[in-house]
Amino acid sequence: MKKIALFLMAVTFIACNKNDDGQTPLNTLVDIRFQHSFDEQLVDNTTFNAIQYNNAFGSELSLTKLRYLITNVTFTNQDGIATKVRDYQLVDVTQNTGMFISGTSLPPGTYTLKMRFGFAEPENNSGIYPDLNAASWSVPDMLGGGYHYMQLEGRFIDAGNETSIYAYHTISAVQNPGPDNIREDTSIEIDLGTINIENTTTTIKVNMNISEWFKNPNVWNLNTLNGMLMGNYAAQILMQENGQNVFSLESVRSVQ
Amino acid sequence: MQKFTFLVCLLFLTLCCTNDDSSEGYAPTPASISIPGVFLQLLPAPEIPANNPLTEEGIALGRQLFFEKKLSANNTLACAGCHKPNEGFSDQRRYSIGIDGIAGFRNSMPIVNFAWNTKNKFNWDGSANSLEQQALEPVINEIEMHNTWPNVVETLQTDANYPIAFGEAFGTTTISKERVAKALAQFIRTLVSGDSKFDKYVLGEATLTPLEAEGLAVFLDEDRGDCFHCHGSPTNPLWTDNDFHNNGLDEDFLDLGLGDITGDPAQFGLFKSPSLRNLAFTAPYMHDGRFATLDEVINHYSEGLVFSQTIDPLMKTVAQGGVQLTVEEKAALKAFMLSLSDPTLATNPAYQNPN
Repeated sequence: MKKIALFLMAVTFIACNKNDDGQTPLNTLVDIRFQHSFDEQLVDNTTFNAIQYNNAFGSELSLTKLRYLITNVTFTNQDGIATKVRDYQLVDVTQNTGMFISGTSLPPGTYTLKMRFGFAEPENNSGIYPDLNAASWSVPDMLGGGYHYMQLEGRFIDAGNETSIYAYHTISAVQNPGPDNIREDTSIEIDLGTINIENTTTTIKVNMNISEWFKNPNVWNLNTLNGMLMGNYAAQILMQENGQNVFSLESVRSVQ
Repeated sequence: MQKFTFLVCLLFLTLCCTNDDSSEGYAPTPASISIPGVFLQLLPAPEIPANNPLTEEGIALGRQLFFEKKLSANNTLACAGCHKPNEGFSDQRRYSIGIDGIAGFRNSMPIVNFAWNTKNKFNWDGSANSLEQQALEPVINEIEMHNTWPNVVETLQTDANYPIAFGEAFGTTTISKERVAKALAQFIRTLVSGDSKFDKYVLGEATLTPLEAEGLAVFLDEDRGDCFHCHGSPTNPLWTDNDFHNNGLDEDFLDLGLGDITGDPAQFGLFKSPSLRNLAFTAPYMHDGRFATLDEVINHYSEGLVFSQTIDPLMKTVAQGGVQLTVEEKAALKAFMLSLSDPTLATNPAYQNPN
């Protein structure tokens, strides 16, 4: 019975994969993979915890946690027709979850690919995303509410040559934290440019260069800016500026 | 033509699957968890494993087993002996005492709202990957029930009532340790706490006192309590992140916690964040119950943090020994945290001993 089921599953799969002419697939599968680096060094959760990276300031550091929110992942074809493939996705490098957006079905062609780091202002409302609530991803209302953009944490060797800790959390920048705070949208548009999708399964790799958070244009001194950054408006603006070139298109590969 | 082929194949596949699944021809009554209003508003649906759906008969059997002393080698200790309904399903003794009079080395962890443990890591040290797995261990733990599973299965199988109850729950009177664990897991998933004063406040049905409201502000203020990253917030009514942290208790570790399970030195001294619900009933606190009172807990985070190699970066003020709260802030924080206690948990008739 199992063999029959397997055979029929195979036939079903083949039947799904071709159009009525039995020749050219109408759509192709597109996967987006998020990968991470510290400049040239690839990063994943197996490389966490060891103090092995050097930031632009010259501090040696480690990563112990990295998770961030990607929103509005959208392909737009040359006719200007947009296909949003994900409203939001929590990429959790620490837990190795949310690293893929799989199974998108698109007609072959040329597209622009855009996404956003964090929720844009109209979508960044407190408590409305149950899965993010359960993931403790919320920002308290007194700090502007809504949701975190990123939690990047680790250790570094401080100016006194001691091991110290940092928590580089990005949120919507907020002035006057408290009940009368004023929030400012500091989410970041990620424009990955033009992508050509062939008629075979395509994998798009998007890279986050973590080093950029500490480098460009603001060289980050962890000795002075290592925690309590959520309510620090000036720090959030610096982070947003440094985040402009963090993401890049690593590769587009078609699999025959 | 292709669509037709597809539909025919789907039909055959469905028939194949249906034949396999319904071979025993018995189906217990589907059941669901009673979900509090604040959870409905803010949390995803509870996660129920496909291979152990909730059923009325399974929950009833799990409840019976939870209070069943025959699970222990000398018939003196049930799960409820260390997870008492009137103590927040925890144990107010620092260490629970097993059947041989030997104390454990960790405080009994409260076991409510586990249906929303999205990370599927249970126990202080994350040693179980599911509730079904978690339910297996205490029975054979030498300090706790000190029994063997073959002995438990034989005891239950020769009981006059249990084979019938297993038949009703699982469609077979043959008892196995896996079915015992499944029934226990079903019952534990129904242990829900979501009716505290603060829950009512979130729903607009209660008002916080000025002291409680100030305590909430301290809790959420990154420059003061900074508690919310690990212990939830008004939008995460679990009041835990279900994750593991080193919260600055010790410079050297007698108990490696998560690191003892994984062997990873980077995880030495990490323990699961407990929920802050029901603190009024779950003293003492911390994985080893070292703090008898909430005041001691607050003092720890205020002035008692110590650095170690695996200290969590969220312990941002460890270099200063803690967040340095004033006496007034400590009192407010305590008042707020006590507002998360749910007195209905102890009196819910569905959670009492049915035996």
